[in-house]
Amino acid sequence: MDDLKSVGMSWAEQVEQEDEIVPEVGAEDESLVDEKNGIKKIFEVKWNEEEGKEVKVIKSYRVETKRLTKSIARRKQWKKFGSAENDPPGPNPANTIISEEIPMTFVNNKEAQVETDEDPLQKLKNQKLVSCRICKGDHWTTRCPYKDTLQPLQENLKEGEKKPEASAGGTGTGSAVSKTGKYVPPSLRDGATKGRGESMNNSKRDEFATIRVTNLSEDTRESDLQELFRPFGTIHRIYLAKDKNTGQSKGFAFINFHRREDAARAIAGVSGYGYDHLILNVEWAKPSGTS
Amino acid sequence: MKPIMLHGHERSITQIKYSREGDLIFSCAKDSTPNVWFSLNGERLGSYRGHNGAVWCIDVDWDTQNILTGSADNTCRLWNCEKGTQLVSIPTSTAVRTNGFSYSGQLIMFSTDTTMGHQCAIYIYDIRDHSQIKNGKPARLIEVNESKVTCGIWGPYDEYLITGHENGELSHFDVKTGEQVLCVSDHKKTINDIQGSRDQTMVVTASKDNTAKLFDSSSLQHMKTFRTERPVNSASLSSLKEHVVLGGGQEAMEVTTTSARVGKFDARFYHMIFEEEFARVKGHFGPINSVAFHPDGKSFSSGGEDGYYSGVRSKVIMSSWNSAE
Repeated sequence: MDDLKSVGMSWAEQVEQEDEIVPEVGAEDESLVDEKNGIKKIFEVKWNEEEGKEVKVIKSYRVETKRLTKSIARRKQWKKFGSAENDPPGPNPANTIISEEIPMTFVNNKEAQVETDEDPLQKLKNQKLVSCRICKGDHWTTRCPYKDTLQPLQENLKEGEKKPEASAGGTGTGSAVSKTGKYVPPSLRDGATKGRGESMNNSKRDEFATIRVTNLSEDTRESDLQELFRPFGTIHRIYLAKDKNTGQSKGFAFINFHRREDAARAIAGVSGYGYDHLILNVEWAKPSGTS
Repeated sequence: MKPIMLHGHERSITQIKYSREGDLIFSCAKDSTPNVWFSLNGERLGSYRGHNGAVWCIDVDWDTQNILTGSADNTCRLWNCEKGTQLVSIPTSTAVRTNGFSYSGQLIMFSTDTTMGHQCAIYIYDIRDHSQIKNGKPARLIEVNESKVTCGIWGPYDEYLITGHENGELSHFDVKTGEQVLCVSDHKKTINDIQGSRDQTMVVTASKDNTAKLFDSSSLQHMKTFRTERPVNSASLSSLKEHVVLGGGQEAMEVTTTSARVGKFDARFYHMIFEEEFARVKGHFGPINSVAFHPDGKSFSSGGEDGYYSGVRSKVIMSSWNSAE
């Protein structure tokens, strides 16, 4: 029984150790009490079905002596009753389970912050749901305060040679259709004369003012980025790479600003900024296609 | 810390209480069998078999001789703590919502629900006088005509009962006259639980209006408010330090309809005076229905709704907990 020594070390809690050993007849439920350290060991020989071997189980307990009042000591002697009537002495593992370690989390008044983060409606408030086509403001195009002043001006600039009646209808493509109710082929629509679609211009501009943010934490969400980068200027688009299955951030994101100056300022401002215990790395995004 | 999980109930826990010396934990649940456990190692001592419905409330007297349980099977029963035998069963017209032994253990009180055309009432019996129970004539019968009683405890010197009501009112009922002597309505919604401090000078109430409040026992003067963002089901005061533990979470029926994270079912610790939360302990997967501090203030138990939806039996989490302050 040379394995006895190895058991001695685990002291604090009950230890179950299985060892291959040639069993001795009559070794069952033998116990050994170490008075000095208050450790009690119980040996038991079991037949392990899976391995087809006899195993010796050594359980070691630390014996603690506690001083109690008489009434508590008396209650300790009470017999079990009711549903626990047939339970063996000591805790029944079916009812009493030592759970895993649960830490006590100490809070430092970050309550309010946590709350806003978790309320989905609250999050939407910060997010820009609509964007005005005229002034890029936070409202519908039709409600734009500059509708009467800015819009005709923009349209005049865009399509100076166009007739004023056509441009008064709206920013182009769709409105002409709705006005007459007739189908207008794309080649005949307002935008056709410009040669290239508006969106093409946009995408070119985007690549210009796009920054790449890396070293984001997994919990980052688009709204967080919106909050972080908004002070630098109007944001056109945010792309946050997310894991398909878990929906968690992959740790990088692209942010398209409307203006390149804003993007430059964002790089200067946020690069090296500690966010969610990680240091952010912000740089210009390389144009897609180049690696 | 490593809490001990006590799996002895098939449905959600409704109330847990420690014996006066803290060596035993009594738990009752929506299944019909209350249990008693040793708090030291979580060993189950026994169970009190006999009820036919959900057991809403449990109490133990000063010297841990008798147990009082109130159930939805329209009975309030008195048990021998040691043997688990039923001593007396008092039939009532409706479910028993809350009960309690007086400090002396000689008087018992319980309240009934307002259902099936019956009005809520508080019954006070003297258990030394057997004729009272035999004839169904309580020492005092207090009819509560307004909002029903949802929780209640005995006040200091057994002079009055402090009761919490469904509409958020907190009242004093004089035991001798049966009159309502004091009533305050600091809470906006149902008071779910009320527990006293060790010296009975203060009570803490837990309400559905997302707060727990601290009151002076005798004047019912509101002293402190502990705010959360979920309904509070139970609150308990530490006898060791100025700490309050709150247990709650949204109601079981609402759990599936809201995007609840596991973290919402923490037991939350507040400083009694500064009203600030300073710590939380996770461990439950459903709302906590009842919390109780060990009388020595070094550990606490919480009982929850867990078993109800996960198929696992409910548990009382007991943990030895040492304050960091």
